[in-house]
Amino acid sequence: MAGLELLSDQGYRLDGRKPSELRKVQARMGIFTRADGSAYIEQGNTKALAVVYGPHEVRGSRSKTLHDRAVINCQYSMATFSTAERKRRPHGDRKSSEMSLHLKQTFEAAILTQLYPRSQIDIYVKILQSDGGNYSACVNAATLAVIDAGIPIRDYVCACSAGFVEDTPLVDLCHAEETGSGTAVALALLPRGGQIALLQMDARLHQDHLDPVMEAAMTACRSLGQVLDGVVRQHLQEVSILTGE
Amino acid sequence: MAEFIFILTRQYNRLKSLLKDPRHDCVLFCNEFQLYSYCPREKGETQEKWHTRCVYRAAVWYHDHLAGLKPVVMITEDQHAVAEYNRLTSGVYVISTQEYLQSFWPDLQAAQELYISIAQVLQERESEGQEREYAEHLPAEVLEAGIKSGRYIKGTLKVNKHRAQQEAFVQADSSTKNTELSSDVLVWGMKQRNRAVHGDLVVVELLPRGEWKGRTIALTEAETGVEERTGEEQSQPMPTGRVVGILQRNWRDYVVTFPPWEEVQSQSRNSQRILVIPWDRRIPKIRISTQQAEALQEHRVIVRLDSWDSTSLYPNGHCVKVLGKSGELETEIQTILMENSIHVLPFSEAQLREMLLNSKENLWTVEAGEVAERRDLRTTHLVFSIDPQGCEDVDDALSVRILPEGVRLELGVHIADVTHFVRAGSLTDLEARSRATTYYLADRRYDMLPAVLSADLCSLLGNVDRYAMSVLWELDAKSLAVCKVWFGRTLIRSSYQLCYELAQSLLNNESVEVPELAQLGEVDKKKRLKELKTALEQLTKVARYLRTQRDRGGALELEGVEVRAQLDAEKNITALVPKQPLEIHETVAECMIYANHWVARKIQETFPQQALLRHHPPPCQEHFSQLMDSAKARGFDIDSCSNKALADSLDRAVDPHDPLVNRLLRMMATQAMSNAQYFSTGSCPLEQYYHYGLALKHYTHFTSPIRRYADIIVHRLLTAAIKLDKGMEPNETLASNKELEEIAQHINNKNRAAQQAQKQSIELFQCLYFKDKDPLTDQRCVAEAIIYAMRANGILVFIPRYGMKGPVYLKNRENQVVSLRNDGSCEWQAGMLQRYPDRICTITSNGIHAFSLFDHITVRISVQALRCHPDSLCLEVISDRLQEVAKLESLAAGKGRLELVQEVVRQAEAASQQVEEQERVPQLSKEEREYQQSKGPNLYCLLQEVRELALLDLSVCQGLGLGLQACIKSV
Repeated sequence: MAGLELLSDQGYRLDGRKPSELRKVQARMGIFTRADGSAYIEQGNTKALAVVYGPHEVRGSRSKTLHDRAVINCQYSMATFSTAERKRRPHGDRKSSEMSLHLKQTFEAAILTQLYPRSQIDIYVKILQSDGGNYSACVNAATLAVIDAGIPIRDYVCACSAGFVEDTPLVDLCHAEETGSGTAVALALLPRGGQIALLQMDARLHQDHLDPVMEAAMTACRSLGQVLDGVVRQHLQEVSILTGE
Repeated sequence: MAEFIFILTRQYNRLKSLLKDPRHDCVLFCNEFQLYSYCPREKGETQEKWHTRCVYRAAVWYHDHLAGLKPVVMITEDQHAVAEYNRLTSGVYVISTQEYLQSFWPDLQAAQELYISIAQVLQERESEGQEREYAEHLPAEVLEAGIKSGRYIKGTLKVNKHRAQQEAFVQADSSTKNTELSSDVLVWGMKQRNRAVHGDLVVVELLPRGEWKGRTIALTEAETGVEERTGEEQSQPMPTGRVVGILQRNWRDYVVTFPPWEEVQSQSRNSQRILVIPWDRRIPKIRISTQQAEALQEHRVIVRLDSWDSTSLYPNGHCVKVLGKSGELETEIQTILMENSIHVLPFSEAQLREMLLNSKENLWTVEAGEVAERRDLRTTHLVFSIDPQGCEDVDDALSVRILPEGVRLELGVHIADVTHFVRAGSLTDLEARSRATTYYLADRRYDMLPAVLSADLCSLLGNVDRYAMSVLWELDAKSLAVCKVWFGRTLIRSSYQLCYELAQSLLNNESVEVPELAQLGEVDKKKRLKELKTALEQLTKVARYLRTQRDRGGALELEGVEVRAQLDAEKNITALVPKQPLEIHETVAECMIYANHWVARKIQETFPQQALLRHHPPPCQEHFSQLMDSAKARGFDIDSCSNKALADSLDRAVDPHDPLVNRLLRMMATQAMSNAQYFSTGSCPLEQYYHYGLALKHYTHFTSPIRRYADIIVHRLLTAAIKLDKGMEPNETLASNKELEEIAQHINNKNRAAQQAQKQSIELFQCLYFKDKDPLTDQRCVAEAIIYAMRANGILVFIPRYGMKGPVYLKNRENQVVSLRNDGSCEWQAGMLQRYPDRICTITSNGIHAFSLFDHITVRISVQALRCHPDSLCLEVISDRLQEVAKLESLAAGKGRLELVQEVVRQAEAASQQVEEQERVPQLSKEEREYQQSKGPNLYCLLQEVRELALLDLSVCQGLGLGLQACIKSV
């Protein structure tokens, strides 16, 4: 990838964004009637679909039941047509399992699970088109779906990725940046309180650079939070008109 | 395909660096990222058309953006685009490059010629023959796989200057897996070299062992071309290979010479395609298409290489710039600069506009704000500078005093505060960085900083207030141990501007007139003189102590009289630097080394990852073999296991009858040394910081910011370190380790180029000097020489009188050898040569005669005039004894070079005046004369040159070094 210049001298990224610019976010809630909650989000070319069922009785093995709070069950999958090369297994491979686990941790931190003891909440997320930032798109879609399902939540959970190229933090990485830059930090934030629900980084980054990168990612999460808030309010308006209230 | 992309990225990078340079005033506009100039590609539209449309749209947008106040010009080579778009919008003009040049820059002849020559090359390329002259290069993947598996070897191609047609070597780089490879790989002949040019990064494949060849060890004249060699003249067969691919071309601009017109016409039917011969022998002939061949005959021209296809015997190129007729002084100097990639244009107006003014009407004074921030030493300290006579750019001054309590001594080194005037990132700074150093040629110099800084505002002149960067040590008055060090910015006023001789006389208690005191009354004068003398004495005491301290730490003991003499002789400046070196030289040098050392420690401590230091790696032991062999011939033993052992053994190797022997040995030791280099601390392990020559753990350059860019960087680092100590954030961001390492490499390269250019300019002057003298009658062409090495068909000699080294052939092309008559004179006769380690014998009918190492002989110097290459001097032995004349003249030795430079310059001036008178057209405009920066050979130049020589030597040969600082404070 030597020839690829992720950040030009003029300060533009490959797709013409500035380092701290997000991709265009578009989202809709309540797209499926049969599920308790559902949402669809597009962040640039990354598209994700989230569906929430519950809270309901724990299904399957009863042993998983927790007597003081709800069990959160997450499943992440990618459509076979979501990547440049067709995927053989849409879910169940190592990467998907890891992502499922990350999502579970994120939402255990955000949902008020103690309100629903001995019950289960299912969150299913599917990536329809992948162009970097899969985790963030999933989290953002799932947040909207959880809200759509009417499950109490502490705050919006907003996630965004950030990288570090030529001494500059880049936010909301696209696929080329994710593979080319080496470092990618994924951060899920509860914007109102500024609590971090999840922070994940696989590659190496110098300690001195961690702070600016996290700062950039958190700023991006906050702006995402505003976008999500707008989506929810608009959805509410539409629904209230429909129901005639 | 891979190659195609590769070429693109290279051009892209080149364009990018051109754009980045603020001197070019270029702006890159990202039209695809701009809402109004973006246009999507239409269905079925070719990429080229789409691009043109995008550019046009951007141009239109820009025109609208400027509210139509300025016309916008878009240049394209696509004639359809010109036709399609030109009339579309008023105010936006679409024209071809040629039209643009003709209508907007009709006076820019050079650009138009350049355009024509490039256009011609493009045309020619299409009509090229199909016959294959060279093997195709392998594709990049194959090369990469081959290198990984160890089948191929990757390295830089170095062509042997003396046998450019045949021998080239590839030095395998460290990543090579092939461990059985003990030496470089030989690439023999142009076919095997497969279109690689000197300096390219190539991939070679080893040939089967049976086809390996040895390198030639006989002396050859460079012009001999292909000749039959017998086996005995070759060394042991060494690994031999052929080039299978080129990873990176390292083509630069080359200076070439056009052949005379008659030759062109007789050579080929197509007189527009001409083979020109590069000045650098290592570069093959270049084919050029031009219509100006007749006008340019025997001119030196800068040429850029374009391509070298496998169907073409020679590479293709195009003319870039005409330098002038070959053989003229100006042309030759420009050629030397060009060949060393030194670009020194006069300082631009924008750069000069940044400078402060200091004239009678507009006197520069210290600013009040600065006075408050700096430590004011004007009244408290007696500051003085010691420099060669007539020095203009005084970049260092000294002070010494006893502190009030009387138990401590304060030593101060004050360096011109150049960074105060040259802000990081300013145009002057960028220019200085790209120059990296002041260039000293034999008859002129090119300053790194504009004259208003180097000779005035920065220069620590006497009796004026100047900003300085100071290092003050508090030493215990008795033990002289360092108690405290202070670094910081100061304000000083130098009381005395002494020269070395004067300072030494003062120390020796001779009664001399100090110019600064001339106007004072008797009593006052005595008092002031006493004060100055005490200061000088204290300084000497401290310097002596510092020197012994360094010796104890293992520093080389090379600072004997011999070294100075050797240095002088080597550079032939004996008449300029006193034979008896003055102690004051050493004193000043010692203080400067001390300051450099402490500053190096300071910045290394504060910025362990990004400080600029200077190290001198220990030399490679194999390089000493010639020295050891030569020394053995005289019965001396040289021990090179450590710097101290080497110095001691050199001290012992003195022949009481012939002081030259020791000089030559030291000269050879100097050659064996590696070069001292700048580096960034973050990219070098701690143990490699060591300076072999000076025997110091940390060293840097701090004391000459006026003429070295490295010192400017060190000043900035030191300023930042001081700020950090005070708990403030440095206001300028410092270069990161990566950037610093790049700068260090750049400065190292420029320093090497500067040395090379200086050496070549001296050679040029030597040749011009001897050119119009008849070697047979003129006594100045006969000189004494001493043999210092043996070759298969000749000897290498050193001529002390002119400070030259060169080969003497004992066998000519008709296989005749030199024989001696009884009176010692020589003649050519049929015979043979026999070579031993310490002597070479000629066997003829006159008997056997031996030339042994360190024999003194008499040679005749003549000039071999060459059209395409620099002229070279030809040495011919005329007697194995010293002739009376030679002896007499050697007494007057040393004046040689001074005389020589002056005479050549005078001739060149006379010649140019003549031309001027004839043509009645001044060759140079007034501005050019003013900013040209070259000066006549006045005393200052010469002294400056001496000073610089000392510096050069240090960096070349450091090792020995050290001592060498002998030279004057330039360390």
